[in-house]
Amino acid sequence: MIRADELTKHFKVHRRKPGFAAALASVFRRRYEVVRAVENVSFRIERGERVGFLGPNGAGKTTTLKLLAGLLHPTSGAVTVDGYVPSKRPPELLGSITLVMGQKSQLIWDLPPSETYAMNRAIFDVPKAEFDATLAELTELLELGKLVDKPTRQLSLGERMKCELAAALLHRPKTLFLDEPTIGLDVAMQLAIRDFVRRYNQRHEATVLLTSHYMDDVVALCPRILVIDEGKLVHDGDLRQLVKTMDPDKRVSFTLTSEVGADELERLGAVILREGTRVTLRVVEREIPAVVGRLLGPLHVADLAIEDPPLEEILRAMFGKAREERAASEAAEAGGAT
Amino acid sequence: MRRYLRLLGVQLRMSVASAMAYRADFLVEGAMSAAWMAVALLPLFVLYGERDTVAGWDAPSALVVLAYFMGVRAVVEGVVNPSLVELVDRIRTGAFDYVLLKPVDAQLLVSGSRYEPWKVLDLLGAAGVAVYAFVLRGHGPEPGHLLVGLALFATGVLAMYALWILCAAASFWVVRLDNLTYLLSAIFDTARWPVQVFRGAWRIVFTFVIPVAVMTTYPAMALLGALDAGTALASAGGALALLGLSRLVWRAAIRSYTSASS
Repeated sequence: MIRADELTKHFKVHRRKPGFAAALASVFRRRYEVVRAVENVSFRIERGERVGFLGPNGAGKTTTLKLLAGLLHPTSGAVTVDGYVPSKRPPELLGSITLVMGQKSQLIWDLPPSETYAMNRAIFDVPKAEFDATLAELTELLELGKLVDKPTRQLSLGERMKCELAAALLHRPKTLFLDEPTIGLDVAMQLAIRDFVRRYNQRHEATVLLTSHYMDDVVALCPRILVIDEGKLVHDGDLRQLVKTMDPDKRVSFTLTSEVGADELERLGAVILREGTRVTLRVVEREIPAVVGRLLGPLHVADLAIEDPPLEEILRAMFGKAREERAASEAAEAGGAT
Repeated sequence: MRRYLRLLGVQLRMSVASAMAYRADFLVEGAMSAAWMAVALLPLFVLYGERDTVAGWDAPSALVVLAYFMGVRAVVEGVVNPSLVELVDRIRTGAFDYVLLKPVDAQLLVSGSRYEPWKVLDLLGAAGVAVYAFVLRGHGPEPGHLLVGLALFATGVLAMYALWILCAAASFWVVRLDNLTYLLSAIFDTARWPVQVFRGAWRIVFTFVIPVAVMTTYPAMALLGALDAGTALASAGGALALLGLSRLVWRAAIRSYTSASS
């Protein structure tokens, strides 16, 4: 189980204005600023759960993952993974977790991935028979084939990512921290990796905590999501619940088969998109039966689809709203001070 | 322990595999090794061309100091330097994250991460110079002296390794430490001369502050049978104390590791 209580991480960073004079001045007098990367974040994740970590760039997702993996020491608060404190780097814990970072590589550049695997086998002290069995399983699941014997520098980005995943999983970790594992990959490779993560989770009852810029990854893999913004946890729960809370209206998309006036469409719901004959309406949930009846009846539409609003749209609205509220409260405080 | 030995074996095998990929390097390194040996010997021949002793050291004895210097440098350039240069690069790029994620001691893991196998030629060259020095002396070292000489060679290497770890630990805070390593290399260059050559403050600096005497002069004196037991013990103890200090600083550095952003 992963447990974070009031987890906080602050970084002290040096700030200076651009230009030579500012650079010279900074030699004598430094100005530091405290960046609150993670602020009082608390959550629990049970064994075998698949949890998505969402938030805009710089929200604190990667920092939180690094705190959970023991790479960073918390400024305050507490974190445990399977009962261990990660920052103390207990070998028992390190032998049962893994962190995959889409933008960093652990494969040895000049040698084939098989050499990195041999190194990891020695590091994690994996018995030969178990190592061979795991590698065979990973080779099958990830369709590695002969990739493991090609020098890493000759692999494509997608091939390298698959080999990275294998390197990270050879010791059969029970907890997977995946930080943008599909970044830069094409759609087919994204699907393959997504599918692999789900199967690994089911086969080994592994806990998965995933961050991704691709909402589809999170939607497809994670029933539960944590949303973090400016270091603070702003939502923890079911993905569908978040969608319902933020935007309960449905999206009704269809193709017109005859000319329909704008007024007629506006009466059914708010028009979000109209491109030629393709239309998307925003409709209040309780009015769906009536609207669908009208679309399929007198209006004779084709290709009718009823969907939840896209997650990207919801998050954009969520982060925008949070920022507006903060700006308003700061403005009110400033106004009160004068 | 078994795990670390196996790990060492894998790291060595991989470095040799990498080195084998560039066979031409073997010839270049062999030629470089011979050239460096000539360059290292030249000042000594010039110096002793006109006098029999310098600060109480005759030419064959000074050659033993030079052999130790070459030996320590071969180990540093063959094992310590490549690994720690790689460490600095890992810290800069954030790949050091993967080191901290492994269930083994991070310092041991990075200290043997890369070897330059061809540097074994330099080590053989150093042994050759030592043999030549004893041929000039007309007799070999006594077995006891040889044993202490070899033990102090090991502690000398550890002292140099500790200084490198201190430099590497600094890179957790300052990231760029090229100048520091150049300075360390330049200071180590003085270890080719017996410490008695230096006078006053310099001798104190090279004995206690940056203990190049521990790396070459004292081991050479032990091999020549000219080192008393107290100094031998102090020399080994000093090296181990430096190693302990480097370990403490390393651990503090790890705590302040901020990991490059993704």
